[in-house]
Amino acid sequence: MGGRGGAAPQAPAAAFAGPVRHVYVHVPFCTARCDYCDFDAQAVGAVGPAEPAVAALFDAYVAAVTAEWELERAAHDVRRLETLYLGGGTPALLGAERLERLLRVFDPWLTARAEVTVETNPDEADDAFASWAGGRRARVSLGVQSFLPALRAALGRRPAADPAAAARRLRAAGVRNLSVDLMYAIPGQTPADLEADLAAIDDVGPDHVSWYELGVVPRTPLARRLESVLGVDVSADDLSGEDERAAMHRRVVRGLQRRGYGWYEVSNFARPGRRARHNVAYWRARPYLGLGPGAVGTVGRRRWRNTPDVGAYVAGVAGGSPPRGFETLDEATLARERLMLAARCGLAVPLVELAAAVDPAAVAPLARAGLLSLHSGTIRVTRKGRYVANEVCVRLFRA
Amino acid sequence: MSDLAHIRNFSIIAHIDHGKSTLADRILELTGTVAARDMKEQLLDKMDLERERGITIKSQAVRIAYKARDGQQYELNLIDTPGHVDFTYEVSRSLAACEGAVLLVDATQGVEAQTVANAYLALENDLEIIPVLNKIDLPAADAAEAELELHELTGASHDETLVVSAKTGEGVEDVLEAVVARTPPPSGDPAAPPRALIFDSEYDQYRGVIAYVRVVDGSFRRRELITMMGNGEEAEIEELGFFSPAMVPVERLETGEVGFIITGIKDVAKVRVGDTITSRRGPAAESLPGYKVVQPMVFCGLFPTEGDKFEELRDALEKLKLNDAALMYEPESSNALGFGFRCGFLGLLHMDIVRERLEREYDLELLTTMPSVEYHAYLTNGTMTVVRNPAQMPAANYIDRVEEPYVAASVLVPSDFVGTIMELCQGRRADFVDMKYLSPHRVEMHYRLPLSEIVLDFFDQLKTRTRGYASLDYEFHGYRESDLVKLDILLAGEPVDALSLITPRERAHVRGKNLVTKLRQKIPRQLFEVAVQAAIGNKVVARETIKARRKDVLAKCYGGDITRKRKLLEKQKEGKKRMKQLGIVEVPQEAFLAVLELEPGDKDK
Repeated sequence: MGGRGGAAPQAPAAAFAGPVRHVYVHVPFCTARCDYCDFDAQAVGAVGPAEPAVAALFDAYVAAVTAEWELERAAHDVRRLETLYLGGGTPALLGAERLERLLRVFDPWLTARAEVTVETNPDEADDAFASWAGGRRARVSLGVQSFLPALRAALGRRPAADPAAAARRLRAAGVRNLSVDLMYAIPGQTPADLEADLAAIDDVGPDHVSWYELGVVPRTPLARRLESVLGVDVSADDLSGEDERAAMHRRVVRGLQRRGYGWYEVSNFARPGRRARHNVAYWRARPYLGLGPGAVGTVGRRRWRNTPDVGAYVAGVAGGSPPRGFETLDEATLARERLMLAARCGLAVPLVELAAAVDPAAVAPLARAGLLSLHSGTIRVTRKGRYVANEVCVRLFRA
Repeated sequence: MSDLAHIRNFSIIAHIDHGKSTLADRILELTGTVAARDMKEQLLDKMDLERERGITIKSQAVRIAYKARDGQQYELNLIDTPGHVDFTYEVSRSLAACEGAVLLVDATQGVEAQTVANAYLALENDLEIIPVLNKIDLPAADAAEAELELHELTGASHDETLVVSAKTGEGVEDVLEAVVARTPPPSGDPAAPPRALIFDSEYDQYRGVIAYVRVVDGSFRRRELITMMGNGEEAEIEELGFFSPAMVPVERLETGEVGFIITGIKDVAKVRVGDTITSRRGPAAESLPGYKVVQPMVFCGLFPTEGDKFEELRDALEKLKLNDAALMYEPESSNALGFGFRCGFLGLLHMDIVRERLEREYDLELLTTMPSVEYHAYLTNGTMTVVRNPAQMPAANYIDRVEEPYVAASVLVPSDFVGTIMELCQGRRADFVDMKYLSPHRVEMHYRLPLSEIVLDFFDQLKTRTRGYASLDYEFHGYRESDLVKLDILLAGEPVDALSLITPRERAHVRGKNLVTKLRQKIPRQLFEVAVQAAIGNKVVARETIKARRKDVLAKCYGGDITRKRKLLEKQKEGKKRMKQLGIVEVPQEAFLAVLELEPGDKDK
């Protein structure tokens, strides 16, 4: 491994310490809630910003994020930003004009080669959004879930929107860095379905793929809907089906690698030089600001989360401090997080930095089993270990 | 103070659940020994455990003043005894303190194995037996059949057999009349050097050991200097008296009387059941017959589930031992279970009681290894090694032969089940001795069989296969050579000492197979493939493989998720506290429990 944004051994740095170069903006609006999604978002209905009340809410939101950014810049050592990420929710729902207004706030603070990502669903990736994103040279993350209408329907997405067409539209409008989100382990999804989604990758040709396992937690709305719509049993305990899910995951990894996408994180694959630099910053435990309702920021030992309530957030920022919950990270907690994050992408971490969290005696058996590699005082979770990274971390944790 | 002619010492003997404690309750009520407002069920059973399980573990003695129909006042001493085979020696000593025994039989059940065993104990001690049929108020009572069986057992005629309902109190007074009329008065010599039989003892944290005694000859008084004749222990009587049922101090205990003696001795092992107390000034020449120190028969390892509770377990065992001379324990360390104790018990019930008391009264969570017996391994160098922990059985090439304890067992069953019992005993290495009909419908069968079979599952099987109709009693019979092997369980190549067991050679394969199968099911998949093997010496006789985990990773972890996902891992780590680390393998406590506790019963599946 190596290269920009890669996994080359790095100079020791304390987790989340140093100046801030990464900003996440949470856009908590969707036309409707998807029941597999656990991010904070507020459904604003299909009419969206055409509704005057919604338009006013969006404007107030943009103004509040702008104000919060000023507050945060005063509070932290913020340097020129290497990455800016607009996630949600469905950021594209704001409309090209508001998105532009929002990004202009950050423009003076972006480095020349900053990565600016905007998430969208196929529905919202209309011509207006596409031409804005293309002109902005934004990186676009497209929420596909599956190219197969039946599986999108199973997830409660509108089957009509054609994700491949949306991707073509974005490309045609000049989007040079395109990522797609996909899912596996959707109840009812066959190996052939998975191959069909892989084949669609060939057609669409994204630069980056995030391919997640769908986790169905029993007794949630998603589980109930899947049970009633598909008649599948999702009440079984966690370990059942482990082999099936493992086989699917491996099929995804192999299929994408064959197509030239490197497996650089549990669920993320990229063509050379196209890793999501923003997300890599999380996994390297770099400090980051989180703006917007429900957003989380971490700088040094302090982590905070804004209230997810849009009204309370807007009012709070106006009053100089949005309602937040705080968490102080002690040395052992920081070390555990450092390990947990690094394990996801096989980053090497010096053992001395993990001393507060890792039991040195646990290293050798894991190394013998090929799940860890131990090299000049650093440990790295291998690709084999990545599939079982939870258990590897837990084994390494001190009792 | 009563003269000998007006003292009657008796006990009630019965199979479990035949109504012994209820009859005692009625007698105490009827005689006004306990005021109605102080009455509660199973009054003589003090321990919670005794009341809950409806069993008697410790003996009790209560003095009852009874004005008989002949117009005279009698002093009745009722000695309540444990009924279980584990406590046979205590029962025999309690009976030795009596001249009469009420043999109580549930008319709905008939004579059972413990009825027979207790009746024989009473006869051995020359007691007058008063047969009583209980529960005659119940529709299922078959008094005629039960009476026939009682007749077969004791030779009692129809007129000699009483019928009662301990529940309603019907016939209870007749029992007392029979005790007065038929039980001989004590026959000791008031002028002889004093001797008292210790038939039980109890530890009180403030007063030390309370000895339950029957004065056989002479008398004892406060401040008298005494000697325990069995072990030579000397002491001064601080207090003596009788139970009513509360302790009532007196100045003297006379010949024939039953009561207690407190000396300030703090160790029950020095005031042994069966020993004789005499006066130091004018000692008796001979102790009373029948004294022996009971030896534990069943052994198991007790380990705290949390490693740091070892000292607490030690303290708790020390305290229990204060009141339980038969309990034996010694420290033991296991690669699988850490530090704990190898404990010796009189039998399975005794083991159960101790474990339950440790868990309830001392709030300890325990892992118990499979119970085992004491094997005698004769080595090729001519020495003998006592093996109480299967893991410590010497290697086969050093062993000349191994002997194991056998018991003489008697099984009472309805005659329909004779074939069933024979079949069961055949599979349990049991030698048939003889059988006899107690009535046309009930048979007493005698066998010699290894105690280890009883420890394994013989009793459960007996109950299951006879739909609960069979009853069992047994006593130690001696050591015999057997073809035994040590079966080891290996996880990822490492032996797990806590799971080693000793088994007849011909059954080793089956037991090995069952054990590894169960372990494979109970041990969750690990990060590595784990071989589960059963081996005799170096020879693997069964093997299963626990496959490695293939997937355990969170799908997403971005900036907003880190805390929540970290907490998930921390919780996953927390779950490991319930795991025992064996080499590289993590084994949940539940897996041990499943194997240790369920394995025997599964043997026949």
